[in-house]
Amino acid sequence: MKLEGKTALVTGGRGGIGRAIAARFLREGAAVYAADLTPGGSLAAHDDDGSRFVQMNVADETAVQAAMARVQEERGKLDILVNAAGIEIEKTIEDTTLEEWNRSFAVNCTGTFLTSKHALPLLRAAAASGSPASIINFGSYDGFIADPGLAAYCATKGAVHALTRAMACDHGPEGIRVNAVCPGYIDTPMLQSFFTGEGSGGGGKTIDQLQQAVRDVHPMRTYGTPEDIANLVNWLASDEARYASGQLWVLDGGLSAQVQQMKL
Amino acid sequence: MSQHTVIITGGSRGIGRAIVDRFLADGASVVTCGRGARPEDLPDAVVWETADVSSPQDAARLLSAAKHAFGPVTHLVNNAGVQVEKTVAGSSDDDWDLVMNVNCRGVFNMCRAVLPDMCGHGGNIINIGSISGMAADPSMALYNASKAWVHGLTRSIAVDHGPKVRCNAIRPGWIMTAMADEAFALADDPDKAMADALARHPVGRFGQPEDIANMAAWLASDQSAYVSGECFTVDGGMTAASPLNPGLF
Repeated sequence: MKLEGKTALVTGGRGGIGRAIAARFLREGAAVYAADLTPGGSLAAHDDDGSRFVQMNVADETAVQAAMARVQEERGKLDILVNAAGIEIEKTIEDTTLEEWNRSFAVNCTGTFLTSKHALPLLRAAAASGSPASIINFGSYDGFIADPGLAAYCATKGAVHALTRAMACDHGPEGIRVNAVCPGYIDTPMLQSFFTGEGSGGGGKTIDQLQQAVRDVHPMRTYGTPEDIANLVNWLASDEARYASGQLWVLDGGLSAQVQQMKL
Repeated sequence: MSQHTVIITGGSRGIGRAIVDRFLADGASVVTCGRGARPEDLPDAVVWETADVSSPQDAARLLSAAKHAFGPVTHLVNNAGVQVEKTVAGSSDDDWDLVMNVNCRGVFNMCRAVLPDMCGHGGNIINIGSISGMAADPSMALYNASKAWVHGLTRSIAVDHGPKVRCNAIRPGWIMTAMADEAFALADDPDKAMADALARHPVGRFGQPEDIANMAAWLASDQSAYVSGECFTVDGGMTAASPLNPGLF
């Protein structure tokens, strides 16, 4: 078990990707706090996976501070912080309201800022007691290249990429590693919502046909699972990644390694 | 560019020819080359050398011809290139030799020929890379790799031979040349293929050789005096967009 003795907090910890990360961390022997808006997160069913649930809106500073106070009291340190909470607004800038824009940044950027900021004392405590602490942010391949009709999402993820490098520079000397995982298409409630949303076009295809068409564009001919992301996050959180910091780790089945595929 | 002497490799057609025409129009003295005979429609003012850039002797001869005709060579545009549409598993030794000799060794030969003089009187090298050197076009393995090599060499020349020499690369996207026309003609449904390909270009059209010549002219000018070691993409926004655009399915 790679994470034995470590304490981790995963935001969005009851959502698609966050839940898989929390489950993996538990299997690797970590004590895990799963922070989310509700115990069921973005999934309908409430699945108590053994993680300690923290009811928290990442954009609410008071709630974030309360969560870190609880970790301080119960564990005295935090080895791993995963900022997986995120939302996407499926609109161009023309159709995006100011409220939607602000909400995107509040969750995807401000949330990453607030949880990291208030976790720093706990992360320093972990680093002082042994191996480097690890922050893992969630960027996206959309932070490099744009999907249509996802303007605010693309912008927030680009901001997370830059913030990741800045945090790695600032807090590396304190023994805190900071990386971002940049997923491509991952089978989550967010992706299913994207398929059924107005932005997906669809061209008269069924959801199944649309999903197959999307798979076919990937060099690996499939999109990823939350467990694929958890595999990388687990490595970045572990001491095997002790020299890894300040990097953006794209995990997209080769999607962004290719140029546009014309239908020739 | 009236004070300048320019060598443009592969200037018989396509992107190279557009750069020849543009630099000529801007007042430069232009020397170009190709493996075949002088194109009949090449303007009289342009000096043509039948030459293969993969040969160091031909590269030296090209430089001598330019100096003899016009004086010191101030600009070099490495445009000559070939593509072989195969995967690694399908590529022969001859394929390797063809692609690497023209696309890599040819650029090396030309740069090595002009750099001693350029390091004295100053100079400007523009390489034609490709978006395929950044992300892969399928079944173009050796071509993709050769263009990534061009991007790497561009940075090395800029670092090693500044401040006298500036060196940059242009990464064209889909430029409508004879090569691209042939690709569409072979599609199952050429009209549908064309519409799909256009939808992947945010500017709503394919590139023209003149679009690349415009960038080359800027990189050759003093407007870009502080630009060196860069690779600029000119692709109508194609690579800024995800290859997975569900609206197109």
